[in-house]
Amino acid sequence: MDMFLYVDNNSGLHRLDPRTKLIIMLMSFTVAVMFMNIIILALLMLLVIIYGGIGRVLGNLKRIRMVLIMITLFSLAIWTIARDSSDKVFIFSLEGLFYGIMIALKTNTMIIAGMVFLSSTKIEEISEGLVKFKIPYRGAFAFATAIRLVPMIVATSYTIIQAQKSRGLDLDSGNLLQKIKKYLPLMIPTIISVIRSTNIFSMALESKGFGYSSKRTNYLFLILKWKDYFMLGFGILLLTAAILLKTNTEVFGDFVSQFPWSDFSGKLQWSL
Amino acid sequence: MAKDKVIQSKNVIEINDLTFSYKADPGKKAVDNINLVIPKGQFVVIMGPSGAGKSTLANSLNGLIPGFLKGKYIGEVLINGKKVKGRQVSEMAREIGLVFQDFEAQLFSTNVNLELAFGPENFQIEREEIVRRINHVLKTVKLEGFEKRQPATLSGGQKQRLAIGSVLATYPDIICMDEPTTDLDPIGKLGIFNIAKELHESSEFTLLIVEHETEEALNADRLIIMGGGKILKDGKPELILSDVQFTDSVGIMSLQIPSYFKRLLNISKDKLPLDPKSGVSMFLDKKIIFNEDKYKEIIKSEDERKASYGKLILTVNNLVHIYPNGNKAVDDISFDIREREFMAILGHNGSGKTTLVKHFNSLLSPTEGNVKVYGNNTREHSIFEIGKDIGYVFQNPDHQIFADTVFEEVAFSPKIRGIKDEEVKVRVAEALKAVDLEGYEEEDPFSLSKGERQRVAVASILSARPKIIILDEPTTGLDYSEQKKMMELIKQLNMAGHTIIMITHTMWVVSEYAHRVAVIRDGRVIMDDRTRIVFAEEEKLKKSFLRTPHIVSLSNQVGKTVLSVGEMLACTGGNK
Amino acid sequence: MKEVFTMWSKTKMVVLVALSAGLYAAVLIPFKGFVLIPGITEIRPASALPILLGLLFGPAGAWGAAIGNLIGDFFGSLGIGSFFGFIGNFMFAYVPYKLWTNLGMLKEDEKEPDLKSGKKIAMFVLVSLIGSAACALVIAWGLEVLGMVPFGALGSIITINNFIPSVVLGIPIGIILFPRVKKWDLLWTDIMDSEDTLSGAGISKVGGLLMLVSVLFGLIGGFLAAFGVGQALFYSGFGAGGEVGSMGVIIVAGIGTAGLIISSFLQTYNKAE
Repeated sequence: MDMFLYVDNNSGLHRLDPRTKLIIMLMSFTVAVMFMNIIILALLMLLVIIYGGIGRVLGNLKRIRMVLIMITLFSLAIWTIARDSSDKVFIFSLEGLFYGIMIALKTNTMIIAGMVFLSSTKIEEISEGLVKFKIPYRGAFAFATAIRLVPMIVATSYTIIQAQKSRGLDLDSGNLLQKIKKYLPLMIPTIISVIRSTNIFSMALESKGFGYSSKRTNYLFLILKWKDYFMLGFGILLLTAAILLKTNTEVFGDFVSQFPWSDFSGKLQWSL
Repeated sequence: MAKDKVIQSKNVIEINDLTFSYKADPGKKAVDNINLVIPKGQFVVIMGPSGAGKSTLANSLNGLIPGFLKGKYIGEVLINGKKVKGRQVSEMAREIGLVFQDFEAQLFSTNVNLELAFGPENFQIEREEIVRRINHVLKTVKLEGFEKRQPATLSGGQKQRLAIGSVLATYPDIICMDEPTTDLDPIGKLGIFNIAKELHESSEFTLLIVEHETEEALNADRLIIMGGGKILKDGKPELILSDVQFTDSVGIMSLQIPSYFKRLLNISKDKLPLDPKSGVSMFLDKKIIFNEDKYKEIIKSEDERKASYGKLILTVNNLVHIYPNGNKAVDDISFDIREREFMAILGHNGSGKTTLVKHFNSLLSPTEGNVKVYGNNTREHSIFEIGKDIGYVFQNPDHQIFADTVFEEVAFSPKIRGIKDEEVKVRVAEALKAVDLEGYEEEDPFSLSKGERQRVAVASILSARPKIIILDEPTTGLDYSEQKKMMELIKQLNMAGHTIIMITHTMWVVSEYAHRVAVIRDGRVIMDDRTRIVFAEEEKLKKSFLRTPHIVSLSNQVGKTVLSVGEMLACTGGNK
Repeated sequence: MKEVFTMWSKTKMVVLVALSAGLYAAVLIPFKGFVLIPGITEIRPASALPILLGLLFGPAGAWGAAIGNLIGDFFGSLGIGSFFGFIGNFMFAYVPYKLWTNLGMLKEDEKEPDLKSGKKIAMFVLVSLIGSAACALVIAWGLEVLGMVPFGALGSIITINNFIPSVVLGIPIGIILFPRVKKWDLLWTDIMDSEDTLSGAGISKVGGLLMLVSVLFGLIGGFLAAFGVGQALFYSGFGAGGEVGSMGVIIVAGIGTAGLIISSFLQTYNKAE
């Protein structure tokens, strides 16, 4: 399994500052969370897809297509049946179906936005971006190192699976409890081989001056350029528009009354 | 490098009466009253068996001892005149760079450039200067063109070079490397030795390397042999290594050429040749006769051994393996193995040898072609079934050990195959006896030494009573006496009727133990014959970065191919 | 709570955060395919890890569980839920090590989590349950607030899904892991300066008790409130329908979550004081 999500094209999206991309992702999360409206969420998804298209990273969605499909099917199936509504035919309801579509759009939009961010931003840029956002360096360092370690640990666990299979471990047989127990010969060597390296790891870090001073210089050079300001401005504009729409009940009510099937925010009246 | 540094003393390292015991083992002095002075610019190799105190010495140089690894510390270590104890490791890092064996655990960054920048960033070097340093260091460690690569995608040798580079980038004037080549294949080792040589020739660096490879120690200015926490010998490498009695006694591998001449002619050690070239001159000078009849006897017994092999048990037909990413790791390989053969598979990492043997027990399924084990096609039988006939000992014993007693570990395989408790006990006892670990049943496998853990791993395969045993680099990471013990054990298994297939990089092991050698390169078998025949073709082996042991090289130049010092003595008369 | 921040000054603790996170993510990711609630949670044998990481590595294990879960989310479920996943998984490892010392059930000389006595195993099961529930509470509450997934369904699924591997795999792994971690000097209580390690005395004990009560109140109370608006547990929680985003659930579970966080700050009584 190729564990790195980053797609190496030199697109306009890739050249944006990681901070810009992070903020845009968070803004798209905010809008997705704010609305329970199919039309608005569909527009948002379209925007996110165009944004990802600029970076030519949508190919990466293939890697999570199973997740996206599962979410869609699950939401549609569950809510068509589960949603309490007046138009029930047998156990199904049309309103439930639309609700399912809305939930699927909401969840998938966020996942796609996350994927676009990770596909167009290198780990070191993310970590440097976090530092620029005043996340302490050591936290960002642990985060970036953990990401780098994942494929190594997966490779080790793969070797361990092969070694234990060679000794006769058969993961497919037995009942559930026996199956869970069979993870022991896999998990123990994996955990121990990872933890065992802690001391060497720390020694190597200190031997390269980690902790020499609380300040350090930076080889990676991040600077916000006009493109970043443009994208951020554009994002803030959209977000402001979304907030205005949401808070202006008159306009929003008008809009909703045009497409009553699409909106569920009214139905989220808190009942105490 | 570091020209601006004011030299405070001519001796860059000064150790006075250093004694240290680890917190976990307070009764044992890991280093015991060490006194050592190393002048600027010297290239020092440190050797010794496991537990000699080499790593303890290395770690005390930059303050990891006693700052990080705690224990009882007596005496003092001075680096460039600065007292190490009481200073931060990160402060000492500006004076002395440390490189470790485990290259995976000393790389932190997501690309090569950032890895090199890591140290300088910590020392708040300006960005422009960091860029300059990166370009400089990339050249030194020969990683130009790899700037943007993720360290994970590099080969082992490249990773270790990057680790060295990342230490060099902080511009220390002393570098200490603790077994940097142990986990590397021959190409990787060569890369490190070349860098060491070039660093030394730039003459400003003081270089300390802890090494196992005796033959490489000859390039150093000075050799230090440690044992039991003490410095046993300290001097010119040629003088120390020609003292075969001494090297034999401390348990490091003796050079074969002086070993041979010492036993043949019994001349004083200062006259002994050290390498094959000077060996050949002495051989000719002394008019030593190569006895053809003796040689024929050796060949004859080898023929008899071959004739005594049993039936065909493993056949590989036109095997091709292509990984999902399109990499063709095995490219049309065919060969047969008979019962009781002892086969070594050579080739550098990435040549496809591990992919090849993983087909033998059905861990991998062929893309094209077939593998049959005892007549069973591995495509049609699961690893669980094939695994009854063929056991696979993986390279790192820690990748399989999981139980809290040796007994449970060794009993795992028969138990999971549904064998009754009584029988399991018998098998565990038998397996532990075979690996010379009787009485270890209740020990905790994790607290054993690397060599012992390796033997537990072998026992845990033996308990399933496989007829064929595959071993992946069974001697890597072991010191010479442990290696020898492991190989004697494998030899015993072979004589008891097991067929052995062994992947290795260690040439003397192949030479002295394997009956047959296959050399793999780019997924193809480029040589496959009796060890003697393959080792006769030194030039061809060199193209795969494989160098025959010194005694083989000597014999190839003066007569027929012999495989060990013992054989050479037998063919040239003396066997004292 | 102090140790959660002071630990960053120790190189070993920083490395343990990275290794714990890498380990957790590496075991999570292969199971991303087995989706329980798509985009939200999945079958997780990896759930055996946070409790162990917490008990052995303390705050480093908690940060590791939080970051590891976030990295796991990168592979298919990064979204707003990841924010609650971060806090929830932090609590999954944090609550157990806090309760281990601060509930006052173990004497000072039996605080090593070696699982060598029946009492310690019982304690392990208890802290696993509360840790699992704390994680479930935070995440289920968060998604209920956002109106995305019903509290009853998600809260119950996460609790069980966390708790079973923690006990079934966690205990045997813990028994084997503890002596090695101790031998390699990697127990967090050995790495940190003693003034930053915990003592189960004074206000910390109150905090520990409050933590226990908050988690139970939040989760069980949340379930009851959820039943009130027609939700149900587990998968029937989806079948039963009911309101998502109900004020009752949000308030009750919210009080529990708040109590959980406040109690963390109360457990500041460290050894040196």
